[in-house]
Amino acid sequence: MKKFKLLAMAAAVFLFFLSACGTSETSGDSGSGGDGGKKTLRIVTDAAYAPFEYQDKGDVVGFDIDFIKAVAKEAGYEAKVEHVGWDPLFVEIKGKTADAAVSAITINDERKQTYDFSVPYFLSTNKIMIPKDSPIKSAEDLKDKVVAVQNGTTGQEAVEALLGAENKNIKKFKDNNLAIMELKGGGADAVVADNTVIEEYVKNNPKENFVVIEDPVFEKEFYGVMFPKASKLKAEFDKAIKALMENGEYAKIYNDWFKVDPDLTEIKAQQ
Amino acid sequence: MDIRWDILAEYAPFFAKGTLLTIGLSIASIIIGCVLGLFIGIGKMSKNKWIALPFNCYITFFRGTPLLVQILLVHFGLVPLVLGQTNGITAAITALSLNSAAYVAEIFRAGIQSIDKGQMEAARSLGMNHRQAMRFVILPQAFKRMIPPLGNEFIVLIKDSSLAAIIAVKELIYWGQALQGQYYRVWEPYITAALIYLVLTFSLSLVLSRLERRLATE
Repeated sequence: MKKFKLLAMAAAVFLFFLSACGTSETSGDSGSGGDGGKKTLRIVTDAAYAPFEYQDKGDVVGFDIDFIKAVAKEAGYEAKVEHVGWDPLFVEIKGKTADAAVSAITINDERKQTYDFSVPYFLSTNKIMIPKDSPIKSAEDLKDKVVAVQNGTTGQEAVEALLGAENKNIKKFKDNNLAIMELKGGGADAVVADNTVIEEYVKNNPKENFVVIEDPVFEKEFYGVMFPKASKLKAEFDKAIKALMENGEYAKIYNDWFKVDPDLTEIKAQQ
Repeated sequence: MDIRWDILAEYAPFFAKGTLLTIGLSIASIIIGCVLGLFIGIGKMSKNKWIALPFNCYITFFRGTPLLVQILLVHFGLVPLVLGQTNGITAAITALSLNSAAYVAEIFRAGIQSIDKGQMEAARSLGMNHRQAMRFVILPQAFKRMIPPLGNEFIVLIKDSSLAAIIAVKELIYWGQALQGQYYRVWEPYITAALIYLVLTFSLSLVLSRLERRLATE
């Protein structure tokens, strides 16, 4: 009996420890904007979209992460970025359990109905990733092929516009890595996703013999930082983003990740 | 199939952390699930239909809906409603406990009801009251019969804790997916995770069979 009691006590202590861990991890993010130190913002992301955001041995890193930290700093905040996943991040922002989301999120009209966006900070287009020997030459050729996409992305919308929304040849995955794995595994003929992501993958994995092709049917898109509706942060972040683009900090982060200088004319035209 | 040992070595500390959290989630959920399950099982056995009804509904709901759906509901619905913000670990433990409580309740009920009526009658005729008869005659025998199905349930629970990866709880599969996301590899993360789960469930079944042998009367 004594042994049982000991066991139960150990279990109780463990439980307490666990629950304490759980709360301390997220406490302080919905902070009360105290007058003293800087307020820490809880920023959510889907860290499965290299080079924008991915996990490097447990740390969330990427262009978006460096960018949002610089923006937050400029606006007078600290940013704590947390990986929650793609569909969950929309739930977090909608429920105001996070302050902002940065995850290569394209600004579009559907999303604007539910969320607020910062000014655009990145230009992107959907492109098609295929094996080198694929007969696919353009978006038109995708019509009778199996296409893997990430669920809830503009890539999915673009493919649905081409193939029809209920087409069984569209495979929707939880994140883009899984879509690429499906293509690698032979379960799909192509992946449609934001150009930078698949171009980086192809560049970094030359042995796997993939190529990226483009098609003018896919429109230009702009990424924005996403906020809950009517968030006060939007105005402050807009100002900070513009400031970073003026003072060269944006170009520096861009160059760090993509090894070329950004062409800001189209982004600025959108602002 | 080429295994890249270097990335496995690189991710070893994360697999270790993930394993610890998996064990933590499982232990916490097993304990809460057992306590909750005991009450629900007793509630369901009530002779009063109206008292038994809510317990019946509980079991029907949690046994009849997918755990994945329950995890999503708790994470995005229940936890923010109560705590004002999402919290993966709390959500995972809550969903796993609520789910296993439904199964444990049925195991308790089946265990107690499997004891022959004559045992209770004999105990009562020896002068014990209902409580004493339960405590000294029925429950010790019932407990022995509950061990194998409870063991099953605990093993299922350890494996099911992997579903918490969907809400980004940093357990074993979460790190497996992180490795997969960084290096686009399949075998390394998932074979490793499978082996670790196997070790966990196998050790648990060893402990349980030992307990069973110790309690054996013949």
